[in-house]
Amino acid sequence: MDGAKATPGRTAGPYVSAAVLRLAILTLLPGLPDLLTGRVEISTPVTSFKRLQEGLFLYNHNVSPYDGGVYHQAPLFLPLFSLLPSFSSFPIFTYLLYIAVDLLSANALWRIADSGEAGSSALFSSPRREKRWSGFVIAALFLFNPFTVATCIGRSTSVFTTCAILHAIAKAVSGAPFGAMVALSFASYLSMYPLLLLPPLILLCYDRQRSERATKSGLKFAATCLSLVAGVLAVLFQMSYLVTGSWEFLRSTYGVQLTLSDLTPNVGLWWYFFIEMFDSFRSFFLAVFWLHLSSYVGGLTVRIRRQPLVVLTLLLGIFAIFKPYPSISDTSLFLAMVPLYRHVFPLMRHTFVIAAVIMYATFLGPAFYHLWIYAGSGNANFFYAITLVWGLGQSLLVCDLMFAVLRDEWEVERPEMVGKEIRQI
Amino acid sequence: MLIQQPPDDSTTDSPSLEAVTGRVTANNGVPARKQPPPEKPSDIRRRSYIILSFWLIVLCLGLPIWWKTTTIYRAHLPLQEMLDWADGKACRPVFPLHISIQANALQEQEAQNLLRLTQHALDDLNDFSGHHLRLQLAPPAATENRDRDTVLTIRLVPGEATTATLDPHEPILDITYPPNAIPSPTSSSSSLATYVAGQLRSTFAEEQATISYLLSANSISPEHRPQGLSPDVAETLSKRTTRSLKYAPTYHLTFSLFTSGPLPSSWDIEGAIGDYMKPVLDLLLPIHNFTIDTQVQLYATPGVQNQVLNKEDLSSFINAAEWPLSPSIGGAPTVNFIVFVGNQTIAAPSQNSAEGPDPAPHSWLIPQWGTVYLLSLPPDTPHLSSEALKQPLLTFTSHLLSLTGTPRSGSLPLRLSTLSRIRSADLLLRASSTLGSLARLALALPSISIPSSVADGVSKTIRHLRMACETLGGPEGLAHARIAEAEAERAFFEKSMVGQLYFPDEHKIAVYLPLLGPVAVPLVMGLVNELKAWRKRRLEAAALGAGKKKE
Repeated sequence: MDGAKATPGRTAGPYVSAAVLRLAILTLLPGLPDLLTGRVEISTPVTSFKRLQEGLFLYNHNVSPYDGGVYHQAPLFLPLFSLLPSFSSFPIFTYLLYIAVDLLSANALWRIADSGEAGSSALFSSPRREKRWSGFVIAALFLFNPFTVATCIGRSTSVFTTCAILHAIAKAVSGAPFGAMVALSFASYLSMYPLLLLPPLILLCYDRQRSERATKSGLKFAATCLSLVAGVLAVLFQMSYLVTGSWEFLRSTYGVQLTLSDLTPNVGLWWYFFIEMFDSFRSFFLAVFWLHLSSYVGGLTVRIRRQPLVVLTLLLGIFAIFKPYPSISDTSLFLAMVPLYRHVFPLMRHTFVIAAVIMYATFLGPAFYHLWIYAGSGNANFFYAITLVWGLGQSLLVCDLMFAVLRDEWEVERPEMVGKEIRQI
Repeated sequence: MLIQQPPDDSTTDSPSLEAVTGRVTANNGVPARKQPPPEKPSDIRRRSYIILSFWLIVLCLGLPIWWKTTTIYRAHLPLQEMLDWADGKACRPVFPLHISIQANALQEQEAQNLLRLTQHALDDLNDFSGHHLRLQLAPPAATENRDRDTVLTIRLVPGEATTATLDPHEPILDITYPPNAIPSPTSSSSSLATYVAGQLRSTFAEEQATISYLLSANSISPEHRPQGLSPDVAETLSKRTTRSLKYAPTYHLTFSLFTSGPLPSSWDIEGAIGDYMKPVLDLLLPIHNFTIDTQVQLYATPGVQNQVLNKEDLSSFINAAEWPLSPSIGGAPTVNFIVFVGNQTIAAPSQNSAEGPDPAPHSWLIPQWGTVYLLSLPPDTPHLSSEALKQPLLTFTSHLLSLTGTPRSGSLPLRLSTLSRIRSADLLLRASSTLGSLARLALALPSISIPSSVADGVSKTIRHLRMACETLGGPEGLAHARIAEAEAERAFFEKSMVGQLYFPDEHKIAVYLPLLGPVAVPLVMGLVNELKAWRKRRLEAAALGAGKKKE
């Protein structure tokens, strides 16, 4: 199957049906969006739509949106949403914006899939690369993933980050380093953590440069990319400064992520830990958690140097587990990238366990949260236990995918071992 | 593979680096194990890079952050100075009291002479250097505008005999003298001078005793400690100190009306306070602020149901479980004044008491808490008028004065000015001893953190203590002592400091190990393995080189 040759009608199929599905849910079940917006699995303090509306209200009344400590999102969301007709009177425009962002993400994913980067990168070609899914299937898997749909209905602003990251990767594989860096700067501006994706993304861009204007020196290329990202971020910060009139937003958006001052429960592993933490060690363990999150970047980039897209995928999975305010939106981004590796699926060993654990956590998570918050018959440990299971499921998937990719590489070196069982030392 | 396993998913098995770099054994029925081919040099180098990338983060970022976030911040405290204050070496509390003599009927010369003699007599009587009475001659015309520093004016008026009366409303001592009592300019002693000195001394005896009691109760060094405080005086003073409330800039007064039946259900408390209590409160204003609230409760049951209350019953009369008497409102200590309308009476004190049979009292004072007044009324009084409340409120007022620690003797203005001096001394000593405790705490616990706010508070305290010490006896002295005491308390009870107290070094293992232990194992093992392999390679290479040389 080749997505590039698809007819226009076929291309439009998943997009149209996904848009119709979302519109149908939004219009036929009017209570559902607000219910999902309030769910901790979807809305974190840094992505919640409710908090965005609060910030928007303050902004439109000429009060600093960060007053009151509710709004922790990027300042440039405010003029964007102010341009739309008011959400309370015409919610349809907001819905259409979110649907459009989802479709744009799917489009980027489609392009990544069609480039074939997952199977054969510049430095490595997998012998199994013929066995893959087309962009059509991968885009459809993303668009109809329940996690993606729930995020869209819940109007979490993380969809913008997802879209920016996917576009950065799509630009990188199509040989447009400039576009990739700009898109990644936007993603970093919105959520900060995508900045950690920079090393593998620069490598991906470097490998995929168009031959007619390729920079040979790796260092020079990296320096250009870094200065480009720094420049775009500086412009975005300057614009934010002009919008809000002070540098307060840095503390209220990135500061909150760095210091975890809002301890609202979420599906991640940080909140419970820092509820229990002694005050005098809080800053130290915050640093430990952040270093833990960022320490993977170097090791993975060096180890899987030949397939930078794999590094990006694995890092997205790791971020979905270990970042300070994760939600199912991050998982949906990771799950969107995983099907690109259809060709190594046969090498994975725990697919059933992974699927079972993730489903188990998905169904029991809301139930345990209900027991804790609403029924009062459970306590915080209930919900934290299920988020541990959720993290376990995802880390199993990350590890298994890494194992499969490494084995795939290894079999190229040792063709005589293909199909034989191996033992890890 | 050197992916750190977080503690929660340590069960997952990740592919090890070796699995893909060649040291792999096939075990699908091949009887003899094949040796894997040797590792490629590029793989070895890559593995070193991976280990290096993790260790770089640990060493370059982790260690400095660990150092910076867990070192205990100890602001510099002037420990020696603080201990000096606590030991009384830094300030010698001296109360210079200026007393002016107004003798309009005397010649300037005569007056000067009398003054000199009286001062001599005073100095002979005085044994306590901290409390100085200084006489000065008032300019004859200045009768109205008294000097602010003058605590007492002596008005000498010619009369029949030697008498002394304290003016009840002004700090004035009127002394009359027979005409022949004026000392001649040459005489070295005079009965009038001795008399005036004796009067002054008795007027200020209580203040002097109180201040010397305070100084001796606080650990002031022996050379400043006054001698000759008789044990029974000390006992009375300690009783009074235990009875009075701890000093606070603001007191909250709660007036409660409890009735045993349905009536009376209302009272004109506002008017009564305005009429009978407000004047005294206004006089106390430089020393204390007051906030007031009132409440009425019907069908209130006292804790004791006896018709006649004995002395033992009084302590359990307050029904703490049912009466809504909150311990303190808004941080200020509460003084409770209770009017209980019922038909209970207090047993008259026993006949053999020194004062003889008293009429049965209606009220009693509860130390550091307030006053209860039993009011018996005709059964169907619906409203308590301001007049009916006169006696209770006058009792409350006098009890309030003793609850605030006002001395007993002398006229009211004198008592109040004495109170402000006593309070200044008290606050000064309390702030000094708090400073001393803080200094000793900082010395005793080397691992306690001292935030900069504490250092701020200490320096502010010392500055205000110094100023208070200089202006002791005046209103500024009280204000400075007040600030110093508040700052010292704030610094001593700094929250972040107290938290550290319960966190000894041993517990740090329990904090670090659960998370950092599992993280450290793969990091350290990876490094150790890598170093071992590197050494082995070096040895092999050396052996190879030696072998080649031999050939």
